Amino acid sequence: MYNVIEVLASGLSATRLRVNVLASNIANAETTRTEDGGPYKRKDIVQTARTVQSNFSSTLDNASLAKPQVLAVVEDQSEPRVVHQPGHPDADENGYVAYPNINMVTAMTDLMSASRLYQANVSALETARNMARDAANISIRY
Amino acid sequence: MLSKIFDKTYPGLEKALDLHWKRNEAISSNIANAETPMYRAVDVDFAKELERAFGDKSSSNLMKTSSRHMELSSNSGSRFVPDLSGQTKADGNNVDLDIQMGKLAYNSGKYSIAANLVRKKLQILRDTIREAMR
Repeated sequence: MYNVIEVLASGLSATRLRVNVLASNIANAETTRTEDGGPYKRKDIVQTARTVQSNFSSTLDNASLAKPQVLAVVEDQSEPRVVHQPGHPDADENGYVAYPNINMVTAMTDLMSASRLYQANVSALETARNMARDAANISIRY
Repeated sequence: MLSKIFDKTYPGLEKALDLHWKRNEAISSNIANAETPMYRAVDVDFAKELERAFGDKSSSNLMKTSSRHMELSSNSGSRFVPDLSGQTKADGNNVDLDIQMGKLAYNSGKYSIAANLVRKKLQILRDTIREAMR
């Protein structure tokens, strides 16, 4: 019981972080000035799977359960997108402004699939709950 | 006496509940890791196990001469195996979320059937006892 909840809760938390990072990227798609100087840099998460021991684990297993874990949020190091805007306060000496290297279409589709993934985790959690309820109802008297 | 009250399907149903729960764990792990790079999908080797629980009556009579011998009709027989139903994506992950959601629904339905069967069988038994006590 608790393995499923543990795994799915990690899934929810990792997916929520993914949504937050994607939302930050979309919101800052036009940010040309940050505290570190220069334009906003696209952020990405590094996610790995950590093995979980199941109550049902056996010595014969040749695959195992895993819970997702976000190791780090990293910044994209690629070159910024430059636009010629001579009047802009953040323009360089040649009149070019550096904008974050964010592709709106990619960011939006990633956001949609992350949101679907969150829903999938929630319904898996609901399924586990219903199964536990079915098991508890074995001893019920009608 | 007890073997006449509790018929042979109880161990089978118990096994079915255990296996479907274990499979739910595997599917949940796949759904949680649908976007984890390099994660490989997991499943439970299934039909064989259940067949063994319902079909093979001789296994429960086997004598164990060491505690490390494996029980043929217990949980230790079923295991997590790689699930190859999905295509491997560019990041090395082979979870197909749609397939997994389908499996999740199918599996929980089966679990519900097994749990309700146990409940109904116990209910019939309870009703019979109640009638006999009148």
